[in-house]
Amino acid sequence: MMKRKRHFFGKLIVFLLLAAGINAAFNTVYDNWMIYHRLNRNQDRQFEEFNDTLTYLMLGNSHNMVNPAILGNSFNYASPSEVYPQTYFKFRHILENGKQKPEYVILTVDPVNFSPKADNTLKFDGYWRKYVDYPGLYRETGDTDYLVRWFTGRFCSYAGNYKFIYMSLLFARADFSQVVNGYRPPRDFRNFALEPDRKALGIERANSYLSGYGDRPDPGTVDYFRRILELCREYNVGVIMVRMPFTREYLEQARKLVDLNRLDRGIEQIVAESGVNYRVFDFREEFTDQPSLFFNADHVNPEGADIISRKLKFLLDADN
Amino acid sequence: MLFNSIAYLIFLPLAVAGYYLLPQRQRWLFLLLASYLFYAFYRVEYTVLLMASTAVSYYAGLAMGAATEKRKRRPWLIAAVAANLFLLFVFKYLGFFTGAINQIASFAGSPGLLPVVSVLLPVGISFYTFQTIGYLADVYRGVSPPERHAGIFALYVSFFPQLVAGPIERARNLMPQFREAHPFDPALMSSGLRLMLWGYFKKIVIADRLVMFVQPVFSQPDMHTGIGIALALPLLMLQVYADFSGYTDIAIGSARLMGFRLSPNFRQPFSATSVSDFWSRWHITLTTWLRDYVYFSLPSRFRGAVSGIRMNLNLVFTFMLVGFWHGAHWNFLIFGLLHGLMMALANITKSAMQSFNQISRLRRAPRFLQALNITLTFLLVSASALFFGQHSLNDSLTLMRNLADFSQTSSILRMLITNNDFILGILLIVFMLTFESVTSRNRVKVWFLTRHTGIRFAFYLGMLFFMLIFGIFSRQEFFYFQF
Repeated sequence: MMKRKRHFFGKLIVFLLLAAGINAAFNTVYDNWMIYHRLNRNQDRQFEEFNDTLTYLMLGNSHNMVNPAILGNSFNYASPSEVYPQTYFKFRHILENGKQKPEYVILTVDPVNFSPKADNTLKFDGYWRKYVDYPGLYRETGDTDYLVRWFTGRFCSYAGNYKFIYMSLLFARADFSQVVNGYRPPRDFRNFALEPDRKALGIERANSYLSGYGDRPDPGTVDYFRRILELCREYNVGVIMVRMPFTREYLEQARKLVDLNRLDRGIEQIVAESGVNYRVFDFREEFTDQPSLFFNADHVNPEGADIISRKLKFLLDADN
Repeated sequence: MLFNSIAYLIFLPLAVAGYYLLPQRQRWLFLLLASYLFYAFYRVEYTVLLMASTAVSYYAGLAMGAATEKRKRRPWLIAAVAANLFLLFVFKYLGFFTGAINQIASFAGSPGLLPVVSVLLPVGISFYTFQTIGYLADVYRGVSPPERHAGIFALYVSFFPQLVAGPIERARNLMPQFREAHPFDPALMSSGLRLMLWGYFKKIVIADRLVMFVQPVFSQPDMHTGIGIALALPLLMLQVYADFSGYTDIAIGSARLMGFRLSPNFRQPFSATSVSDFWSRWHITLTTWLRDYVYFSLPSRFRGAVSGIRMNLNLVFTFMLVGFWHGAHWNFLIFGLLHGLMMALANITKSAMQSFNQISRLRRAPRFLQALNITLTFLLVSASALFFGQHSLNDSLTLMRNLADFSQTSSILRMLITNNDFILGILLIVFMLTFESVTSRNRVKVWFLTRHTGIRFAFYLGMLFFMLIFGIFSRQEFFYFQF
């Protein structure tokens, strides 16, 4: 019996060591090679090397496609799938540790930013553990999920991320030289105008990001949005809020799921109450009749992004 | 504590190690404390209910044991069963009944007669209540002796691997195991770990992936039509199967690590050739419980002779209870009623169907007949998911109405066939059903277990890392926790 027991534990240890070894290898490869990790770290490096005057700093998710080359004196630090809790930690890091602070931050205030699906959907923990205080979030909320996220981000960042492995394979030879001042030109290999069933795509996109909205924005996200505003007030940074364009199909479905007027009023009220210097620019219905300016139902393509950037520059210049 | 949480992955090895390190006479106490700790992770307050149910049933069991005649045992049985059912009623069904009374009163013109009570359902209450009632009935019938050791009895009610979602164990199966010495058995340990790996695989890779396609349909029925709903119905049953059988495998595997043998709860239900066959393979410990303690207790005779009508009525009644056990909603009641009616109808038409098979020569093609029966059973069970996946009757009716609208078929199908998760989900369902069918044969098991360690390790590691890469780590609760 003793011999069988020793044999069992011997095999168990070998198995666990093998599993740990494979896991460590997978984690290292994924962490260094995953396309978004590479993109985000490339952006971090560019920001560290940024030596121009930083008038505008674009923050948020992939909706924030304001081109810094058009706006001038600016850096686009928005990253894919970023949510406002993550933005808050990154912005705090910039203000506390960065070489320079921006005069204004440009934030998108689209329904997706405040969707209940945005709260807690922290992605890419392997990268974000650099900024996000996961143990702090756990202490604050009591949600052990933050500890799990820290743990998986540190030791098992590939877990459940098969989609990004696939994407990283597709973009294994991605050319990062196109990324200038943090800005990565939006994807252009698809044209929404050429999609055979735009209505279905618009509905599907809106449903997957906005369903379950209820009658008010997600409180967790709003809380972090307030904290971002608090940082702005503390460091005397102005806030420029931009509502990015949507396709007609997406917008129609979004209106069924969210009371957009109420949401916009609510967000504006929060910003007004925060006491920061702010402006709002609404481009939401700018391209509803021009599907060719979109990559998909709710993301403009490079041409659309440049038009919006030029319009924004014109309005900001006029304002100043 | 969820089985699919890091907390459980830390808790379980500690519990197993503690169990084997302690001498036999202290193990029950250790397991009892571990079980209460496990349960307290959900909500500490719940443990009070668990203790109350345990105390009532323990003392009633002792009292029944002291009574020599059945008639003297009856008041104790009634009192203890009533006390347990009262707790279940208050926490699970009170809201439903107050709502129903108010609805009836509003028809009569006096709305808001009773305050609608909404109490948070304590996890696992349906499971441990049935387990204790089963014990009380067995003691009453003299099938099991009353348990005199309060600690062992408390452990029987609260044993952590099966506390929150079964299997619903019989006293005569589980209780004696707490007294047995369980020396460390490498073979049992390996088989427990294998079963747990498969359970996690089904839950994390298959069930939680299918949720992505099923949940939107059932949570927003007015936004889905025809083919979307038609696909969501069978997918819901497959999701629930992967989820609940996955949970059960983890529960049985966890218990096996400490040398305990829990009852099986599933036996390839989608191979069932009739609805009654389906229920002999699906949630077996619940259906056998209801069979033994409810169905067999109902009167089956009419004017002295066994009455077919009465037997069928009993069947329908029992399955309405099966439905109602799942939750205090009209939907579940209808779900149970439908299954009961389908089985009663099959009983009534049995001889006619046999004649039909004879005349139509289907009997000569047994494999074809079997495939036909399996398909029909699967479709019938899937159709009943219209009520199983919903908590509101209105939503079920909306789904039924929208089911006839096939106007968006092509766009939905195009979207699904270009969705990698959907394709992967379908492939994984095929893999799960095939794998379970193949490994149910002892020959295959023996063949695999006699392969070289390296081959087996490669298989386990492959499965583990497939799960890690393709798993959905959203900490989705187990489907049956809501019951």
